[in-house]
Parts: sequence; C-alpha cells; structure tokens
Amino acid sequence: MENTELQKIWKTIDSEFYPKSKDELSLLLTSKTKQTINKFLVIMSISILVCVGLLIYLAITSLNRQNDLIYLINNATLGIVTIISLASGLLSWYKLQNKKYNQPLKNWLEERINILSKWLTGRLSKLYLFLIPFLYVLIVLSIHVYFENKSFIDVLNTEESIIGLIIGTPIGLFVSYYGARKIRKYQISNLEFLKDLHNRLCNMC
Amino acid sequence: MKSPKEEFLDILSNYQGILYKVSLVYFKNKPDREDNLQEIIYQLWKSFPSLKNHNSIGSWIYAVSINTSISRIKKVSRIEYRETIPELPDKSSVIDEMLKNESLQLLLKAIYNLDELDKSIMLLYLEEKRYDEIAEIIGISKSNVGVRINRAKEILKQNLKK
Repeated sequence: MENTELQKIWKTIDSEFYPKSKDELSLLLTSKTKQTINKFLVIMSISILVCVGLLIYLAITSLNRQNDLIYLINNATLGIVTIISLASGLLSWYKLQNKKYNQPLKNWLEERINILSKWLTGRLSKLYLFLIPFLYVLIVLSIHVYFENKSFIDVLNTEESIIGLIIGTPIGLFVSYYGARKIRKYQISNLEFLKDLHNRLCNMC
Repeated sequence: MKSPKEEFLDILSNYQGILYKVSLVYFKNKPDREDNLQEIIYQLWKSFPSLKNHNSIGSWIYAVSINTSISRIKKVSRIEYRETIPELPDKSSVIDEMLKNESLQLLLKAIYNLDELDKSIMLLYLEEKRYDEIAEIIGISKSNVGVRINRAKEILKQNLKK
C-alpha cells in the first residue's frame, strides 16, 4: 500500500465527522470543569474533615489531661505530623493537577516523571514505612490512655494494655500497609510506563 | 470584543477534528473516547493563556491532545470518580458508523497495534504534518522524525498485510 494511499484513507475521516456546535463544546467544558473542581473539593473536604476531626479530638483530650506531660507530648506530636501531612499532601496533589499539557511530548514526560520520581523514589519516599506505624501507635495510645482514665505511664505499665497493643498493632499495620502498598504499586506502574515512553523517545534522539 | 471563553470556543470549534482523531487513535471504546475528548477540552482551556507562545494553533492542540491521551491510557482501566456527563445529541456515534468504511477500519486496526509513540507519530504523518511540526509536537529532532516515521510505516504496513 502506497504512503499517499494511507493518507487518502485517513482523510476520509474528515468527511464523516459531524462537528459539535459551540454550545455543545461549551457544555462539555463547563461540565468537565465542574467535575474537576468537585473532585478536588471532595478529596480536600474529606482530608480536611478527617484531619480537623483528629485535631479537635487531640485538643479536647489534651485539655482534659493537662497534668499528664507524656500524654500532651504524644498528642502534640500527632497534631504536628497531621498538619504537615495534610498541607504537603494537598500541595503535591495541587501541583500535579496544575501542570500544563501544552508542551512537546518529551518535555511533558520529563516533567511528570520528575514529579512522580520525587514522590515515589526521592529522599522522603520511604517515609511512609516509618510514619504509618509511628502514627498508628500514637493514635492508639492517645485513645486508649484517654478512655482508660489512667496516666500514660500507668497504662504502659498495665499488662492488658501492652498485650492489646502487641495483638492490635500488627492487625492495624497490616491493613494500613496493604492500602498504602496498593496505591504505591499503581503509582509506580504509572511512573514506569512514563519512563518507558520517555526512554523510547530518547532512543530516537 | 470577544471574551476569552468565546475566543477559545471559536478555535475549538474550528479544530475539533484533531481532538476526535487523537482520541480515536488512542481509545477503542466510544465511552473512553468521549471521556478523553472532554479531558482534552479541559486541558486545552487550562493552557489557553499560553497559546500566544505557540507558533501554530494546530501544533498546540496536537501537543495537548496527545499528552492528555497518553496520561489517560493507564487510567481508563481503573474506576474513576465521575459525575454524570450531560447527555448530548449522539452525533459522535459517527466514529462507530464510519468504521463501516472497510479500508479505514483496517487502517485503524493496524494503528491500534502500534505503541503509544508510534501512534502519535503515525497520526501526525497521516495528517500530513511537516517533519519540523512533528518534531515540535513530539520534542525530538527533525532527522529522527524521518527515521521514526519510516519505522512506524513499515510496522503499519506489516500490520495491514496480516
């Protein structure tokens, strides 16, 4: 088949299209914009709601346990980590969403690979391995100590509490790691896909 | 004086064929193509303020359309959060109707067997874009465009023979 013949066949597409009117295009743009804004709002609202809920809980319980210094340190650490995680998470997500697509494919791939690589293989990429158990234990202790109506040290000296922590922690960690690993696996496969495309483009250069 | 949105819709209306064709090359299913089309329109709108920096409107639309489509390939197999898309008159079903054109159907099947990069290069070649335009859209050198097109054409011809 001749090259021009391929182009001729391809050109037949043009005569088959029924273009959308400006009103229809405008409707598509408006609905997609709303959809994207709503998606952002849903994610942001849920994250903020969970974090604010946790912060309120930490503040109330801390006020009720002002004499227990270790409990206050526990809650303050949790609060700080929560605020930092929320802010950095939302900022990274916003950055990725805000990237413009109006550049050559190769440059666009490089930019996206850089952002995802920073998340997934950068200096802080393994932080979640430490943060999940750290936060889990702090949250469990905060709740447990508060509802036991004992001081932090007393609870840690109770045999039942330690046994509960030893049994409960692996189960909680398993669920948390499973979720985190699944998300990470998808993101890494995405990164590999982009890297593969980029490598193939570079092989042409 | 026209508002930026009106200006954008004028351009979109004149160049919408590009959006359909890029979606057609990357997505076999009509719902995926429709979703992709909508996403491309949104990404074009987002980068519309930077259009002044581009030499040609066509190149800008091809670049955004190809980049958007590639970023969506991995997503389509996953369940996404979505709201109901407004029902429009179903004129876009022409994509399926036109597959009745047997030669075009064969050509599309052959294109579907190409990898993502060859698809975009082949599309631009079939659209009769110049090598320098293809180089600008893809981000590779002009000489490499020629090499890649020849390679993609060979694969395409082999696919057509099957």
